[in-house]
Amino acid sequence: MVAPARAPLRTDRLRAVNEPRAVTVELNESGRMSVGRPDGQTVGEVEAILESWRIDDEWWRQPIARAYMEVMLEGGKRMVLFQDLITGQWFAQMP
Amino acid sequence: MSRRLTSSLAACVWIPLFPLRCEEARHEGLSSYPTALLAPDTTRKLWQVSSLARHAGVKPGMTVSQAIGLCSTLRLIEPDPVHYDEQFTALLSALGEVSPVVEPSELGLVYVGVDGLEGICGSPQKIIQAIHQTVRPSDRSTVRLGWGVGKFTAWVAASRAKPSEAIVVPGGEEQKFLASQPIAVLPLDVDIHRRLRQLGIRTLGALVAIPEAAVTAQFGDVGKRLWQLAAGRIAEPVEGRVTPEPIVAALTFFTPVGERELLVHALEQLIARALRHPRRIGWRVHAMRLRADLECGDVGGDRSPTNRSWMVNVLLKDPTADGDRIAAPLKVRLEQSPPTGAVERLVLEFTAFAPGTTELQLFARDAQAAARAGQQRALRHAAREVRMRVKRANLYHVIEVQPWSRLPERRYALIDYEP
Repeated sequence: MVAPARAPLRTDRLRAVNEPRAVTVELNESGRMSVGRPDGQTVGEVEAILESWRIDDEWWRQPIARAYMEVMLEGGKRMVLFQDLITGQWFAQMP
Repeated sequence: MSRRLTSSLAACVWIPLFPLRCEEARHEGLSSYPTALLAPDTTRKLWQVSSLARHAGVKPGMTVSQAIGLCSTLRLIEPDPVHYDEQFTALLSALGEVSPVVEPSELGLVYVGVDGLEGICGSPQKIIQAIHQTVRPSDRSTVRLGWGVGKFTAWVAASRAKPSEAIVVPGGEEQKFLASQPIAVLPLDVDIHRRLRQLGIRTLGALVAIPEAAVTAQFGDVGKRLWQLAAGRIAEPVEGRVTPEPIVAALTFFTPVGERELLVHALEQLIARALRHPRRIGWRVHAMRLRADLECGDVGGDRSPTNRSWMVNVLLKDPTADGDRIAAPLKVRLEQSPPTGAVERLVLEFTAFAPGTTELQLFARDAQAAARAGQQRALRHAAREVRMRVKRANLYHVIEVQPWSRLPERRYALIDYEP
């Protein structure tokens, strides 16, 4: 018998992968960047900025401008953050 | 060896977009939506597109993101090549009931040799009717049939026929029929097609009006063949496939074996060996026989040794080239009615075969492809199991959307996996 094939895939059920997650980035008393979640929980302090780059895209419709940086948090955890240069908001994202 | 079957008079059976039709046949209501089938390779591009999707501007070869951009209601379908092969094999088997000369060309395109069928079925119209009846009901409204001397004429006739209709080109009228056909019906590449159009040649008649030598000088051997096809000078016969002789694999045990596990193990070895036989390539096993020579025993106390044997015949409902599927019914027989003594020699015979297709060579014929098909089956089974246990299984496929995008979230997407 032929196993029934999968039901057709509907495009309205597409889910984005690796969407940016909103984070907060602030300078603490000691002048170091501190990354936190929108609910107020702290993720960690930035120990070092390992790399930074910028993406400017889609200037012909809704312009996108992002300043990315790969940072190392205290304890050695690595993270990629970017600041939306149009709205000023910070996000975390896998590279 | 069997005689090679040929027929100069050909009927062409063409079901356009055969894989898509297979999907529509098993998913009720699918035909009322714009639909696209993804390519079976890893490119994740569109392979076949329904007419509704085509109206929305979606074309084969597009990426998923391009297609969705043009048609947001588009339904994407993962391909199931093994299923299409099985459906096509079923069509070939059904056509084999009408004529012994059946030549598969590609999925959905078959030539049937009709020489001599007038004596059995009657007029060409009646033969065409008989062929039409072999097509599964869901395809009868889309199948196109062509009739003529040689495969090319039959193909052109089928390609010009309306859905569910047939065009019969009577013998001797091939040139007249072909003359008015566009050059696109010729098997030519894009470059030659462009050059012919640049020369103002739009029909086969216009091509034939040029001397053969001039076409050969311009396009070489390819041009010569095209000219001869257009002029109706080449009438390739339909060539039926010769059914292979039975394939036999045998194993003689050093000491007679009575343990069921050992016999099952030996059976698996024999199946693997028989499947690897070169004659099996391109064919699926339809019927098989397993027999055993049993240890000589004393019968009736007269001390005279008597040869004993054991045998089972199995006819597979769905012909297959998959070792597990072949083994399953034989193992059941071994379990239910085992040999009545220790086995000295175990012999497996594949006695009947069903044809495969060209695509089968790509998807299911070789060991790698069979393994891939097995993996997919196992995956579907596992997914169904998970869904049954947790009611809602969050299983997804990762598909490429814009893998070249600089924005990480645009590169891939998840889509529901529903086995």
